[in-house]
Amino acid sequence: MGMPKLVTVQPAHDKLRALGILALNGMFDEMDAVGVLRYATSDVLPGDLAIVSSFGADSAVLLHLVAQVDPSMPVYFLETGKHFAETLAYVETLKKHLGLINIHAIHPDQADVQRFDPAGTLWETDPDSCCHIRKTEPLEPITEQYGGWVTGRKRFQTVERGVLPHFELTSDDRIKVNPLAYFSDADVNKYKIEHGLPEHPLFAKGYKSIGCAPCTSVVAEGEDPRAGRWRGLNKKECGIHFDFNGAIAKPVTAAAKHTLWKDGAFIADPFHDWSETSDPATASYTHVPLSVFLANREAFLANPHPLGLLVSPGERIEDVEADLGRFASVAIKFPAFSDGRGYSSARLLTQRYHYANEIRAIGDVLQDQIPLMRRCGINAFVVTHEPTREALIEDRLPEVALFYQPVGATEVPVGTRPFLRRAS
Amino acid sequence: MYRYDEFDAAFVSGRTAQFTDQINRRISGELSEDQFRPLRLMNGLYLQLHAYMLRIAVPYGTLSSRQMRKLAHIARTYDRGYGHFTTRQNIQFNWPKLKDVPAILRELGSVEMHSIQTSGNCIRNTTTDQFAGAAADEIIDPRPVAEIIRQWSSLHPEFSYLPRKFKIAMSGSPNDRAAIRFHDIGLQAATNAAGDIGWEVWVGGGLGRTPMIGKMINSFVPNEHLLAYLESIMRVYNRYGRRDNKFKARIKILVHEEGLETIKGQVEAEFAEVRGGVLTLPAEEVDRITTYFAPPQFKAQPATRIDVAYESIIDPAYGRWLDNNINSHREPGYASVTISLKPVGGAPGDATDTQMDVVADLAERYSFDELRVTHEQNLVLPHVAVADLRAVYDALVGSGLAEGNTGLITDMICCPGLDFCALANARSIPIAQEISRTFAEPKRQAEIGDLKIKISGCINACGHHHVGHIGILGVEKKGGELYQITLGGDATEQASVGKIIGPGFEAENVPGAIETLVDTYIAKRESADETFIQAYRRLGEAPFKEALYGNA
Repeated sequence: MGMPKLVTVQPAHDKLRALGILALNGMFDEMDAVGVLRYATSDVLPGDLAIVSSFGADSAVLLHLVAQVDPSMPVYFLETGKHFAETLAYVETLKKHLGLINIHAIHPDQADVQRFDPAGTLWETDPDSCCHIRKTEPLEPITEQYGGWVTGRKRFQTVERGVLPHFELTSDDRIKVNPLAYFSDADVNKYKIEHGLPEHPLFAKGYKSIGCAPCTSVVAEGEDPRAGRWRGLNKKECGIHFDFNGAIAKPVTAAAKHTLWKDGAFIADPFHDWSETSDPATASYTHVPLSVFLANREAFLANPHPLGLLVSPGERIEDVEADLGRFASVAIKFPAFSDGRGYSSARLLTQRYHYANEIRAIGDVLQDQIPLMRRCGINAFVVTHEPTREALIEDRLPEVALFYQPVGATEVPVGTRPFLRRAS
Repeated sequence: MYRYDEFDAAFVSGRTAQFTDQINRRISGELSEDQFRPLRLMNGLYLQLHAYMLRIAVPYGTLSSRQMRKLAHIARTYDRGYGHFTTRQNIQFNWPKLKDVPAILRELGSVEMHSIQTSGNCIRNTTTDQFAGAAADEIIDPRPVAEIIRQWSSLHPEFSYLPRKFKIAMSGSPNDRAAIRFHDIGLQAATNAAGDIGWEVWVGGGLGRTPMIGKMINSFVPNEHLLAYLESIMRVYNRYGRRDNKFKARIKILVHEEGLETIKGQVEAEFAEVRGGVLTLPAEEVDRITTYFAPPQFKAQPATRIDVAYESIIDPAYGRWLDNNINSHREPGYASVTISLKPVGGAPGDATDTQMDVVADLAERYSFDELRVTHEQNLVLPHVAVADLRAVYDALVGSGLAEGNTGLITDMICCPGLDFCALANARSIPIAQEISRTFAEPKRQAEIGDLKIKISGCINACGHHHVGHIGILGVEKKGGELYQITLGGDATEQASVGKIIGPGFEAENVPGAIETLVDTYIAKRESADETFIQAYRRLGEAPFKEALYGNA
C-alpha cells in the first residue's frame, strides 16, 4: 500500500464549504429522493457529481433515480476482481434497462494486487487491507475529480448508519448525497416493484446486501440486511464510506484597505494598536489598553499626543472614569460576537459618563450585531468581514427599526406613544 | 388579554423580515453555521441532526382561541400534526423545514405571536402562574407586569449576548405554582408596610447540572422601579457572569461563587445609578397595560353546587375529574379547569392539531376565549362557569383530553429525551409512558394522592427532575441507559432539591422501583391526608432506601 497522501487537496467549492450542509437537510421531505438528487445535480454540484455503485441487491433503485434525473451522470463500478459472475451480468442488465450511458469500471492497481495479494486470499487473512487495495485506493483518484458523490446508503441498513442525513460534508470538503437515507427495506422493495426494476439474480437466493463473492453470505430472516457482509468479523464498512464529518469551514475573509467605518464611509484610520515597543511618554494615535494606562497613568497624562483607550471584556470603565476626557477614541473589544460585555461598557461610557467622542467596536464585528452596538452608543466600527462591509456600504443592515426599551442613547420616543416605545 | 397595537405588530413583522433575511443569507452561504446559530437561536430555531425544531413563545402562558387554532393549523400544515407544550409554557414543533420557517413566522404574526427569544443567550419568555387573574388566592394578577417585562426585554441591545440564557418567573400568589425559586430571577408579589403591592426578588435559582434554590436579593421593589432593578441585575450578570465555561455561566453560579452579599452590593450600587432614570415605570403605563387584562364580564351565576361525592357514584370518571382538575376561582360560580395532556401511555405535553382545535372551541364557548399553558405541561380553561363543567367534560372525553389526573402520580413532567433531543443521554418519554401504565388504575392513583414525578433524559434537567417529589434522571452508563432516582424535591414556596437515593436502575426496572417507593409511603404514612412529600420529610430517606436496596 502507498504512503498516505501528503499533498493538500485543493477544495473546489468554497461556496459549498460555507453553505453548511446541515441546512440542506431541513429542506426536503424524508422520502423525496428524486427531489434531493435533482437539487444536488442542478443546484448544489451541477456537472460535478458522480456515483459509485456496487450493482448489488438494492442498486437498481438509486440508478433508476439517476436515469430519471440525468442518465449521463458518471457511474463508477468497483471491479474488484472478486465479484460474483451474477453481479457482472447485472451491470449489463441495468445499463440496458435504465439507459445509463456513462458507466465506468474501476480496477485495482495491479502492482498493489501483485504485492499484497499474490495468492488472492487476502480477503481471508486481512479483509480490511483487501478492501483498501481493491476499493479505497482505486476510488481515491476518481473522487478527487468530483465535488461530491451520490451514495445509496440507508439509515436502516446498520446501526452505524442510523443517523445518516440526506447531505453530508466530508472532511476534505466534498459532499455526499444520500437520497435514499430514509428508505426502509420495505420502501426499497416497493419501489423496485412499482417501477418494474430487474432484480439482482442473487437476491432471490437470500442475499440482501451484495459485495465481493468471498465476503458476502446469505442473510437470515430478521437479520440486519448487511449482516451477510464480512460475517463473523467485526467489520461493517469497507472504508469508502467513513467520514460523517458535518463540519463547516469558515469562509475566507479578504483583506481590505480601509477597515474603519465611521459617519457612513470606510475611512483611513489614524490610530494604531499598542505594541511592546510603544512608549507611554511618546505614543501618539494609539489605543492604550486600559490596564497599561492605569499602570502608567502619570506618563500618559503628561503625553501631549492624541490617544485612544482600549477596553477589553472584563475591564471596568469605572476605573478610568476621571480620565475619559483624555481620550479621542475608545475602542471596545469584541473578541467574539457572542461576547456581549462590550455592550455594557458602551452604555456606561455614553450614558453614565457622557463620553461623547468616538467609540469604536473592534474584533468580531458583524452586520447582525452592529444595530445593537449603535443603540448602545458605539459610533464607529472596524470591519473586515466582507458581507458586513457590503451591507454597510449598501446601507442594508438587518435591523428592526422599532425598539421597546429606552436605553437612552440613540432612540427617540415615538410621538405620543407610551413608555417603552421608541424608533430609530 | 394583551392586544397588539400598530407598534407591536410592526415590531414583530420587522423581526420576521429580519430573520427571513438571515435565513436567506444562511441558505445562500453568506452566513456560516457558526454565525447563523446565535441568530436562529434568538428566534427559537434549533437545528438537530435531521430537522429543525421551532419553539414558539406563549407569553406568560396565555393564549386566545384564535391563537390556539393557528397553532393547530401550523401543526397540520408544516409539521406532523402535533405540537409539544413545554415547561416554560411555550410550544415547540419538531419537524419544520428551514424554508418554511419564514411562512410559519408570518402566520404567527397574524395572530400576534412570535418565536422571539425562545432560545439563545438572552432573556427568555417570562413565565407565571397558570391561574393568574383567576385564582382565589391571588394578591395581584402578574400578567400586566409580565407583559411589560416582555416588551422591555424584547431585542434588548445590551442583553442579547449574555453569558447564558436567562429566565424570569413570576407568581402573584403566595402559593407558588410557577417554580419561581428555580429561575434566574423569581418575582413574588408582596405587600409592604404601607400596603403597597410590589415584588419580592429572588435571584440565582436554577436546575440543570447544578441545581440551586434562588436567594432573596430584595424583599420589596415597587412597580415603578422594577425595570430599573431588573436592568441592574442584568448588567451585573452581563459584565461579571462567567464566560469561560458554558456549564458555569448561569447567574446561579455567579451568585454562588461570589456570594449573595457581594452580588447584592453590586446590584444595589448599579440600582442607585439607574433608579429614577429612563426606566422608571409610570403608574399610568401599568394601568394602561392592566386594562388589557381586566377580568372578563363574569355573569352572576345561579348558586350551582356540584356534589362531587354524588357525581362520583353516578359517573366515577367525571367525579375523579372534578376532584382533581378543578381549581377554585376568585369569582363565585366559576372555576378553572385543567385539561390534562397526560393520558395513560401518552407522551406528556403533546397535543394533536385536532385536540388543539377542540380546546380552542371550548375556550371560545365556555372560557371567555382564554387559555393557559401550565409549566407542568397541561392546558387550562381559566374561567368556566360551574354550570358548564359537565358540558366541557363531555367535549373533552370525545377528544381523549378528559384524564382526571392533575396533581396525581401520572401527571408527570417529562422532557423529550433521546427520542427527539440531541443533548439527551437516555429516553424519557417511554419511561413516563410505562409508569403511567403501571399506575393507570384510577383508584390506585386516588389512594396515592398528590405526588409529582418529573423525568429528565439528561443532566440539563429540562424535565425538572430535581424538584420532583420523585425525580428520575436518565444517564448513560457503559453505553446503556440507566435511571437515577431522587427523592424530596419541591418546586413550590417550600423549595427543595431532591437527593439521589442510591444506584440507578435499568429502564425496565424503573416502574417497579417507583412502585416500591409508593408502597413504602402508603405503608408508613400517618393517614391518607399525609402526602408523599410530607411523609418523606417526616421519615427521611432511610425507609425508602431500605425498601429499594435492602438493609445493607
